[in-house]
Amino acid sequence: MTQQPPAAVPQSPASTDGDVPQQPAFSQPRPAAAKPPLPDETRPPATSRLHRIALGEPIQAEIHDAVLREDAVLEFDHFSLWYGSKQALFDVSFPVARGKVTALIGPSGCGKSTLLRSINRMNDLIDSVRYEGDIRLNGESILGRQVDVIELRKRMGMVFQKPNPFPMSIFENVVYPLRIDGIRNRRLLKEVCEQSLRGAALWDEVKDRLHESGLGLSGGQQQRLCIARAIAGAPEVLLLDEPCSALDPIATAKIEDLINELRGEYSIVIVTHNMQQASRVSDYTALMYLGRLLEYGPTSDIFTRPHLPETNDYITGRFG
Amino acid sequence: MRSLEIARGCDVNAETSPNSRRLRRVTQPSVYVVDRLARGLIACGGLLTVVSVFGVLIYLCVEVMPLFRPERIERVASWSAATDAATTDSTDAPAPLDARRAGITKVTARGVAEPEATGVESGMSPSDSAPLVGLDDYARMYWVFQPRRRQVLLCRVGGELLARHAVGVEKTVTASTVNPWTGDFAIGYADGTVQTGKLSFKTEFLDDSAVTAAERALQPGESRPYRKGLLERTAEHQLRHHTLVVQQKKPIVVARDRRILLVDQAHSTRGTVLVAVSDDGMLRYARVTERKNLLTGETVTRLKQGQCPAQFDAEDSPAFLRVAGLGDNVFLVFRDGRLLRFDTRNPSSPVLVERRSVLDTPHARVRCVTFLIGKTSLVVGDSEGNIGVWFRIKPDDASTPDGVVLVRGHLLHGNGNAVTALAPSLRSRIMAAGYADGTVRLFHVTSEQQLAEGRFTAVRTAEPAAGGPDAGAAVRAVVLAPKDDHVLALARDRGMLWRVHAPHPEITWRSVFGKVWYEGYPEPEHVWQSSSGSDAFEPKYGLVPLIFGTIKATFYSMLFGAPLALLAAVYTSEFLHPRWKKRVKPTIEMMASLPSVVLGFLAALFFAPIVERIVPETLTALATVPFAVLWGAYLWQLLPIARHGHWHWLRIPLVAISVGVGLQLAAWLGPVVERTLFAGDVMLWLDGQIGTGTAGWMFLSLPLSALMAVLIGSRWVAPAVRRRLRNRPTRTYAVCVMGQFLLGSAAVIAVAWLLGAVLNQIAWDPRGTFVGTYVQRNAFVVGIVMGFAVIPIIYTVSDDALSAVPESLRAASLGAGATPWQTALRVVVPTAMSGLFSALMIGLGRAVGETMIVLMAAGNTPIIDWNIFSGFRTLSANIAVEMPEAVKGSTHFRMLFLAALTLFLMTFVLNTIAETIRLRFRKKAFEL
Repeated sequence: MTQQPPAAVPQSPASTDGDVPQQPAFSQPRPAAAKPPLPDETRPPATSRLHRIALGEPIQAEIHDAVLREDAVLEFDHFSLWYGSKQALFDVSFPVARGKVTALIGPSGCGKSTLLRSINRMNDLIDSVRYEGDIRLNGESILGRQVDVIELRKRMGMVFQKPNPFPMSIFENVVYPLRIDGIRNRRLLKEVCEQSLRGAALWDEVKDRLHESGLGLSGGQQQRLCIARAIAGAPEVLLLDEPCSALDPIATAKIEDLINELRGEYSIVIVTHNMQQASRVSDYTALMYLGRLLEYGPTSDIFTRPHLPETNDYITGRFG
Repeated sequence: MRSLEIARGCDVNAETSPNSRRLRRVTQPSVYVVDRLARGLIACGGLLTVVSVFGVLIYLCVEVMPLFRPERIERVASWSAATDAATTDSTDAPAPLDARRAGITKVTARGVAEPEATGVESGMSPSDSAPLVGLDDYARMYWVFQPRRRQVLLCRVGGELLARHAVGVEKTVTASTVNPWTGDFAIGYADGTVQTGKLSFKTEFLDDSAVTAAERALQPGESRPYRKGLLERTAEHQLRHHTLVVQQKKPIVVARDRRILLVDQAHSTRGTVLVAVSDDGMLRYARVTERKNLLTGETVTRLKQGQCPAQFDAEDSPAFLRVAGLGDNVFLVFRDGRLLRFDTRNPSSPVLVERRSVLDTPHARVRCVTFLIGKTSLVVGDSEGNIGVWFRIKPDDASTPDGVVLVRGHLLHGNGNAVTALAPSLRSRIMAAGYADGTVRLFHVTSEQQLAEGRFTAVRTAEPAAGGPDAGAAVRAVVLAPKDDHVLALARDRGMLWRVHAPHPEITWRSVFGKVWYEGYPEPEHVWQSSSGSDAFEPKYGLVPLIFGTIKATFYSMLFGAPLALLAAVYTSEFLHPRWKKRVKPTIEMMASLPSVVLGFLAALFFAPIVERIVPETLTALATVPFAVLWGAYLWQLLPIARHGHWHWLRIPLVAISVGVGLQLAAWLGPVVERTLFAGDVMLWLDGQIGTGTAGWMFLSLPLSALMAVLIGSRWVAPAVRRRLRNRPTRTYAVCVMGQFLLGSAAVIAVAWLLGAVLNQIAWDPRGTFVGTYVQRNAFVVGIVMGFAVIPIIYTVSDDALSAVPESLRAASLGAGATPWQTALRVVVPTAMSGLFSALMIGLGRAVGETMIVLMAAGNTPIIDWNIFSGFRTLSANIAVEMPEAVKGSTHFRMLFLAALTLFLMTFVLNTIAETIRLRFRKKAFEL
């Protein structure tokens, strides 16, 4: 796989489709982005990182030192990814702290989910996907040819945007990762089931109906069931892909409480749209924009003292 | 309408949009019209569908209903017989031997001098003197055969004498017989001669100018006696003259100088057969061949004779003599129920081959004996009122010299009164019986059902008869009209005619769905045989063989098609690259557009002959092709490129190559297999002539032992191997796994062989169960070809069902670390179960109703046999084959509708069950 040159540089922001920063609704005058497209020769020098990213220029991500001091469970090393000829991730490099909650935020289409799905190589299922660079789990590359994808996924637990319990009993849903490993020991399965459901703060609600269908639960319960399923396999990393976007505020609060409880036991990477949620549950936050990492640091710093003005704009709702 | 008005009201406040378009906040009337129209059309279409389906059901029911309508008779005429027409020829039946010896003259004198004397009064039982009677086609007149008085009386229904014809010659008549089907009669004389002749009705149409005014004045439907017959004005205003013609030949010497006690005749292919019992206790058999010399015009009569002792003495003379259809068997029945059967296939030396009793109770007496149509079933009526129907069967363990045994196939119970008259139908298996108490019953012999009962109304004679209470009512003769539409009964002094309404006498629920003992069959069986070359044929309308055939066709085709289609659907939806799937799916769907008639004749004319030629190779291929494909998969794992995503497209061509290798392997191994396992000739082996059952059991148990091997392998062996080779290179692992597979295959064969040997040791041969004699058109061929017909539909529906499983479930499963195969089996297939089940049911429905393939390739033999190498006949194919030859409105025609109704109900029940199960499956996954 050779280095693919970055996608053709769009000549004007207006000519790129949906990936350009959306014009903010409140239409505050902003440099470059707010102005109508100008002819090439009259365009002013790009001052904003956002603008430079939109033009396809490489930029240096702002990574806080506090992050680098942490023990990394995952490391992204110049990771780029293409869907066919369209590049979705550009040269992403950052470590993910062990035992902490790392939130990935950013506007729609910025590549957060793609990045998350690269960690357990769910992107492999997409036919035309291609990547470069490396991701290391505990120092071992997970992209190598000799890596067994199935085993890799067993080391990760993943929770999706939409609750997706299997059409089986609650019990079977939870012990699914053990079932596929061929474990038939009833006692062990029961033990893991209870442990995982307790871990997912669902035990008390479902302990009397473990053998009813998992589809009979409410949305929030279903999502916690999925989390229970994800932690039943004792993963090294828990990947949460917008776990609350389909839930109501009360269910969201429960999930957030759960994430807080799981902190320390698991290394969690959570993708979220909701900046308040990121600030509430995460230890570290990475802001992404158009497939690039913009800024990455401790959550408190990102939300209170961001290094970049663009981060400030995003968290205060000026764009995105 | 209210909403419309409100909308109109809003119209007043029509607004203007920012781009100055007038906003009409009202729904246009045309939208309402279209909406109503669409709703109406859709409702109409739906209703029409429901109505038409029910219409079909109702139509089928209406066509079938008459089959099960009860038969009945209604009285159309009754009269008291004042003339001697109703009286009988008192000495018609043989008198006891001693009486006969007493003097010829006495008998003759009594016959002439005492014309009114009846059998009852002369001390004989009524059946002794049962008059021989025949009825004409229109049930207008009947003849009474009275050879002792050398006359045949022709009487009009109502008793009026129309004509008196002379029969016989000037000798003492001692025996006589009339064949009710042909009108042939034979008269035996005291001098040992037998005279034959024929009674027949003659119809001619007269011109109005040829008759007198009285006849011309006849109105349609009216009739009057005219020139020894009856003249009737038909509905078409023609004058129909109907009369009796008596022909007779010269007497032939059968038993020189002996008195003939009993006589009967038959027509064999080589001439008329005359059988007689003479007073010296001999059975005489004579075959009369008449040959006309073409040059001289002179008729030469040749006689071939034989005789054997009939084994009776003077005190104990036989009462009835009957010759079976072609003259090959002669039955001699005594009053006490003894029956002697003679084999007369060699005319020069008849042999007594069987003796038995035809009565159950010791004190019962045989009262009448006759044949059913075809002269094969012997009907015996006794004094207890029971009618037994006897026919010959050929059991394997027969003790008789000719290997044939007489059995009682049917028993028709009366009400305890003696049977006094029996009359077979001239066209069907209906039997009319008259009883001593004056009742007349109609039976259908095959279905053993009593069709109807009639009774003489109490016409009391002036002085009661001596024979007992109302002995005059005892039925002395009963006869069925040639078209089975009338039955005539005569008592001593009265007569009665009933009209018979029995269009479908042979059909009862039991005869259609139960076992019926048909004539000549060793035991009651389910048989479908609706037509034959002869009129005497007994129609066999058992639907069970056809239902069985339908189930068999469905079973074998689903056995072949369903797993293939389901696995193909799972493969394409879960594993195949979308680019390939895009091409594969339409290709398979295109298979569905192949007309089944094309598949049918391919199967019958191309596939079946080829398979017949290469049976061992075909059988071997069933094992080698899966083996080769699996082996190919293991070989593929060995290739270094196997783990590269972009070489995956190579897999399909490689599978095709594997299949080819498997077929080649089968071609090589086939002859070897035939030599070693099937004793050198698989056809003879299947026929059960050579070899032992081991090989068959081995083949049958191959799938079972393979399944066992897979279970053991995946449960214990494979995890152990995986544990041991955890840190070895991939290639080593692949080699080991392949070794495991090859060892496993060997073990499968060994276990199958062992199983076969054990089953063979306990003397259990597979031949005769699911395998057996090979027929070219068989269930195997149909299974494969019909499998191809059902594969596309099962495949398409199940692929759609699998594709409809939300991607999020697959992602969840894969994200949890499941392999695609585990994902498919544990998540996708259970979720899509309702769809897969529907697919199977749709396939099943297609297989059940499929006509052309089974019609052409199944051989259409309605037999009940699970043997995969034998043919069958399905309900649908049966309808297609026989509908063109069924007469509209006939029993056969309606039975085909019953077959259709059965098919309809089968699919209906099947679909209902399927839908219920499907809904249960769907409930599990409906919240997705």
